[in-house]
Amino acid sequence: MNKVMSNKWVIAMYVLPALLLILVLIYVPIILTGYYGLMKWDGIGEMDFIGLSNYTKLLTDDDFWQSSLNSLLLAIFSLLSLIGYLAISLVLAAKIKGADLLRKIYLIPMLLSSVAIAQLWLKIYHPSNGLLNSLLVFFGVDNPPAWLAEPNLVLGAIFVPIIWQYAGFYILIYYAALKNIPDSVIEAAKIDGASPLQIAYKIKLPLIMGVIKVTIVLSFVGSLKYFDLIYVMTGGGPNGASEVIASYMYKQAFNSYNFGYGSAVGFALLLFCLLATVVIQRLTRTDDEVEY
Amino acid sequence: MTETGQQEVKLQKSEGNAAGKFGYAILYLILGIIAVLQIYPLIWLVFFSLKTNQEVFNASPFALPADPKWENYATVWTQGNINLYFFNSVWITLVSVALTILLASFVTFAITRMNWKLSKLVLGLFMIGLMIPVHSTLIPLFNFFLSINLIDHPLALILTYTAFNLPLTIMILLGFYSTLPREVEEAAVIDGSSIHRIFFQITLPMSMPVMSTTFIINMIYNWNEFVFINTFISSDSYKTLTVGIQNFIGQYSTDWGAIGATLVISILPILIAFVFLSNKIVEGIAAGAVKG
Amino acid sequence: MLLLLTMMTAIVLSGCGGGDDAGDGGGTAGGGDKVTVKMMHLWPAGSSKQHHGIVEDIIKQYEEENPDVKIETEILSNDQYKEKIKVLASSNQLPDVGLTWAAGFLRPYVEGGKFAALDDVLEGELGESFISGTTEAFSVDGKAYGLPLELNIAPIYYNKRIFEENNLEVPETFDDFKNVVKTLVDNGVTPITVGNKEPWTGSMWYMYLADRIGGKETLTNAINRSGSFEDPALVQAAAEIQNLVDLGAFVKGYNGLSNEEAKGPFMNEKAAMYMMGSWELPNFTTNEDVPQEFKDQIGFFKFPLVEGGKGDINSFVGGPGVGLFVSENSKVQQEAKDFVKFFVQKWGEVSVTGAGVIPATKVDTSQLDLPEMFIDVLDELNKASNITLYADVQMSASAAQEHLNLIQSLFGKEITAEEFATRHEEVLADEE
Repeated sequence: MNKVMSNKWVIAMYVLPALLLILVLIYVPIILTGYYGLMKWDGIGEMDFIGLSNYTKLLTDDDFWQSSLNSLLLAIFSLLSLIGYLAISLVLAAKIKGADLLRKIYLIPMLLSSVAIAQLWLKIYHPSNGLLNSLLVFFGVDNPPAWLAEPNLVLGAIFVPIIWQYAGFYILIYYAALKNIPDSVIEAAKIDGASPLQIAYKIKLPLIMGVIKVTIVLSFVGSLKYFDLIYVMTGGGPNGASEVIASYMYKQAFNSYNFGYGSAVGFALLLFCLLATVVIQRLTRTDDEVEY
Repeated sequence: MTETGQQEVKLQKSEGNAAGKFGYAILYLILGIIAVLQIYPLIWLVFFSLKTNQEVFNASPFALPADPKWENYATVWTQGNINLYFFNSVWITLVSVALTILLASFVTFAITRMNWKLSKLVLGLFMIGLMIPVHSTLIPLFNFFLSINLIDHPLALILTYTAFNLPLTIMILLGFYSTLPREVEEAAVIDGSSIHRIFFQITLPMSMPVMSTTFIINMIYNWNEFVFINTFISSDSYKTLTVGIQNFIGQYSTDWGAIGATLVISILPILIAFVFLSNKIVEGIAAGAVKG
Repeated sequence: MLLLLTMMTAIVLSGCGGGDDAGDGGGTAGGGDKVTVKMMHLWPAGSSKQHHGIVEDIIKQYEEENPDVKIETEILSNDQYKEKIKVLASSNQLPDVGLTWAAGFLRPYVEGGKFAALDDVLEGELGESFISGTTEAFSVDGKAYGLPLELNIAPIYYNKRIFEENNLEVPETFDDFKNVVKTLVDNGVTPITVGNKEPWTGSMWYMYLADRIGGKETLTNAINRSGSFEDPALVQAAAEIQNLVDLGAFVKGYNGLSNEEAKGPFMNEKAAMYMMGSWELPNFTTNEDVPQEFKDQIGFFKFPLVEGGKGDINSFVGGPGVGLFVSENSKVQQEAKDFVKFFVQKWGEVSVTGAGVIPATKVDTSQLDLPEMFIDVLDELNKASNITLYADVQMSASAAQEHLNLIQSLFGKEITAEEFATRHEEVLADEE
């Protein structure tokens, strides 16, 4: 058994093509990003080596920390939203009528590109004739806020579409995982008199724990480096109130011609993601799943 | 003893029925509301695609198009090379997704089923691939593809898509592989099957549901991608549907109706593929279960 | 697996075949003695049909006159264009000819040696045909690196019907203007719409106030560091912006609206005034998608004078938009230069009538059949005593970013006029 499953040639054959691909296409850019971070470079002309100046500047850059905080908040909200997605998936995967149709409908937003989602939500949030404010006015709110223009509201307002955008993604994964549980296990539990809630909590969830852990990492890391909707819907504004790390990086590198500094921001983002992953792994480590 | 036990179960059931019905009604109400919220964007998009710019910005965004502009579709379809873009979108997406899933399955199999010292390190290497912001990689990747003469070549896209989706795909597969029963594989080892046989004839078929899941996710990502295409591809002959959207964004103004039409046209194929594939998630289980 | 491999091989092979003639970054002399000049621009046929058509026509004419040259175009939308041009520049792969923006955008490319000096092209007749000040905006250290294609000024467009209904007249002074605003607010009409999510729109309001209070040089001097943002006139200009905000002059949620969204209430006759570059003129004159009744209601006026200020009514905010560059690393630089020269001349002849673009070369309005408002704006342009280039274009890209953020804060009343001034000083001092 062990011998067959330890065949070095096979391992190499299975792993190397993919590894090679990411080493060249992802690791080389990562290393170069760290390297550009050591340069004063507008991205166009000559590079000047300036050592760690960009990185030390990061430490005192309020805008950077503000955007980091915003990214962290987004990541936390994304994590919390996983609970909701899990609940929906549990319902959909249970044998209720119409689950199949509902599941397909629930995943539709996932198919939309960011361009479409941004336009949709811009219309929802429109200060005077948007859906949200029209509703609020209908219910008697006198002067509903301009959601994307208020510095203290914009962050919350922009999180909603981002989290909604990914609903399909996580529901899809959870659903597939739950469907993966053999019926025999659940039937056995039913015969033992377990209630649906008990089955969900005591049997289904532990069985898909591996998948849940993966989604925790994916949603946290994905949120930390999130970019699309924020850039289109608010551009990080007003005055940086909805800036996240990736949009800050983009603005520095591409709009302000500080490619060196932008690269340092990008590299810092990578380190944050790495740190977050290690922490998550520590927190979710259980004895029975050593391989993960 | 057994009698009372049975009675208890029955009692619980009849009690649960009245409350249960009410509970189901509430449940379906909630599920229904969510379903409406999730399907609405698609309907909105279709309306949006039939509007003029005047309506998009001046009328309430939720009004029906006053005078449906079907010519938006004609404009989109006749202008530029939409057939060619469509064809390119399809094959570039398909090749990238197939390559990604194959390579990711190899790696996940090697990491979860085979015994080797460096497996954790290699897994870590792949995970870090999740963490780099896309825009940090543009300049390094452009230089790299330039140096191997792949700029303006579809292979640059396929390799990039594969590399950037590998970490995510591996993570998702990993979560599932840890829940798949190993008995069949172990039995096959004892029977003296080769590893390749085990992988292709047992593990891959068993992981059909999750492969369908990752297929959907990869497909959507690649289908909607535009940053890399814009950067790496110059010739019209390799551009994809997402470029079609660009066609309607101008220097000072944008033809939103036509963008809507392009988005609707481009969402149809993945909608169809998605409905087909999402059935596979359930079917796949059945197939896997039979073999298992 | 095998299938996949075959497919991949097929792709590689077919791709290589296509890749060779599709373009080598710089122009290559392949296929006989034909020279290929690559051009990138941002007028796709879908959104900018007329611009696109003009470019195509010019290319066709040029290719007819120069049978040994082939012009190849790549078209991207605005944002994608900016992103790609940057990546291309960093790898020395700029197209032979492309579009650039003035001053702050162009400078890093010039300093990095990516754009070719075009003084030889401008020599003689062509140089004189440009309106003075336009090529200067594309110059670094006295050498021109871009040939401007458009020139815009920003008037305030207003809705005559709304003005009439509220018994208002075009304001002559800024006090009048504020009274107009007050009346409109009292009558429940949005006075001004502005899409300050793109703060260059709000910046124009600030620039006009700076001009009308401090005179035409004050802001420019503050930016080029011979003056200061703490100049009392500039602080007052910032304070006046906040006065307008307090009056309720601007459309609801202006800091969260894009320019295009903000334009909605104006086109919808829900907002009375809208300040925007003259590139908007087709929407109020020739655009067939806009109802004629609406177009008839639209007029424009010049930003009113501030009492006691040093402003001149004929001084405008505006400037050249995009211009053509030629890549310094182009293998066909001579052909490229010849082509841009041809392009600018033809563009000047047809762009006003063909696309409603006011070119940066002189236009003889008496010879043209144009809508009246077009002629009026062109006349104002010819009379202009000064055109102050958009502040964010004048500044370096990173200072501009900061300026735009500060404009949002100023309009959002998160900072005071004094803080607005000191923060600008800090940013610009950092750059020196």
